[in-house]
Amino acid sequence: MARSKYGFSIFVVILVLVHLMLHVGLGIGESAPDLMTVAVLLAARRMRATTAALLGLLLGVLEDALALVSFGASAVAFSAIAVLGARSRDLFEGDSLLFVALYLFLGKALRDAIHVLLTEAESGMLLSSTPIAALYAMFAGIIGVGVYRAITGER
Amino acid sequence: MLDFDGTRRERRRQGLLAIGVVALALILYALPTEYQSPVREGLRATVLRPFLAFQERISQRRGRTIDVGAIRAQRDSLAALVTAQASLAEENRRLRSLLALQERAGDAFIPADVLRVGVATAESTFMLNVGRAEGVRVRSPVLTPDGLPGVIWSVDEKQAQAIDWTHPEFRVSAMTADGLAYGIVEPRHGRYLEEALLAMTGAPFHVDIPPGRRIVSSGRGGVFPRGIMIGTVLGIEEADTGWRKSYLLRPAVRPESIAQVLVGVGQSSRQADLSALWHVSAAPDPLGADSLPPLPIDADEDTN
Repeated sequence: MARSKYGFSIFVVILVLVHLMLHVGLGIGESAPDLMTVAVLLAARRMRATTAALLGLLLGVLEDALALVSFGASAVAFSAIAVLGARSRDLFEGDSLLFVALYLFLGKALRDAIHVLLTEAESGMLLSSTPIAALYAMFAGIIGVGVYRAITGER
Repeated sequence: MLDFDGTRRERRRQGLLAIGVVALALILYALPTEYQSPVREGLRATVLRPFLAFQERISQRRGRTIDVGAIRAQRDSLAALVTAQASLAEENRRLRSLLALQERAGDAFIPADVLRVGVATAESTFMLNVGRAEGVRVRSPVLTPDGLPGVIWSVDEKQAQAIDWTHPEFRVSAMTADGLAYGIVEPRHGRYLEEALLAMTGAPFHVDIPPGRRIVSSGRGGVFPRGIMIGTVLGIEEADTGWRKSYLLRPAVRPESIAQVLVGVGQSSRQADLSALWHVSAAPDPLGADSLPPLPIDADEDTN
């Protein structure tokens, strides 16, 4: 089945809304997956690099609005991974679940690495909590993609 | 959305534009705080407002459903704090009228609900459902019945954001409950946030502080009222070549457990002496209350 442009956009918006509801509305921290990063990474694979970067910038600023210090760190991290995600199409084609899983894991880990670089966060977290958070985002993303494909019939 | 970017020239153009967007994000990151604050405040008041309001409602509903006994105990403790503060304010008013000094307005602690923001960038912070409209200012102290969880760091019209004691920039001038040693309390991080402890640094070398001794705020610097419980001594952390000692403390308040707090509003909330509330027996500060002038409440700080 052909890719549905609007269907995927709605899927990305839902991921962002669920992320905001879990993290801001319900105040769940690391117990909830980082669906914002998943949304940016998945959208970037289907967007032009510029559009992807703009989406990353927009969502990053939204997340930065909740931060007390290092305003803009998330905007930089999201726009950077969005550009790399869009460019990854030149190197890797196809959207097998295995590839998507690896892509999400690396994307989330890179997002955290950029964030640690720009903020005063403990660099030790890259070895302790980042791999777990990346795995969590990967599983959440795979489930999301699975549900999306089941609903739209997309392969 | 497109599946492919087209020609090589188009791809190069896209790449340059995308790098431009990343550069824009970097500029945003490097902007001074006074330019960032309106964006932050605007987004919190619009796009993020429904989510924050939802958590506020959840927090209020949770307050109605959890153990009534625990809520009553917490309410009574908070009421005791407010009452004690009110009697101090009354005494202050009487003394000032006796001395024919001018009345200072708006001296109180006000209750607030704690809102959690579960994003990585907001770690070691919490939001409160009170703001500039209620008289909250940057550096207003935040209290719970158990002690000191943090201090206000940024204020919007209807909300405020505070750092808790695990934040790298948290500092409080402290003393032992008997007033024998003074120092500065700052956070010590473990591998995980839950392992974080406090440390009292700069304590005099010739004074031994035994484990279990309570550490309270000293009131020096005029940010935190005197006598607020901070933690208890676990043991010595470091002895600095005969000059000073550092002690590790078990914090009195775990930030993740707080739901309701009191926020100091007005200058006298910073200068108050709350020693009686935590049964602090320390003698008056040897340096005197006026030795270090209190930090001024500056309107410009509100957008910090």
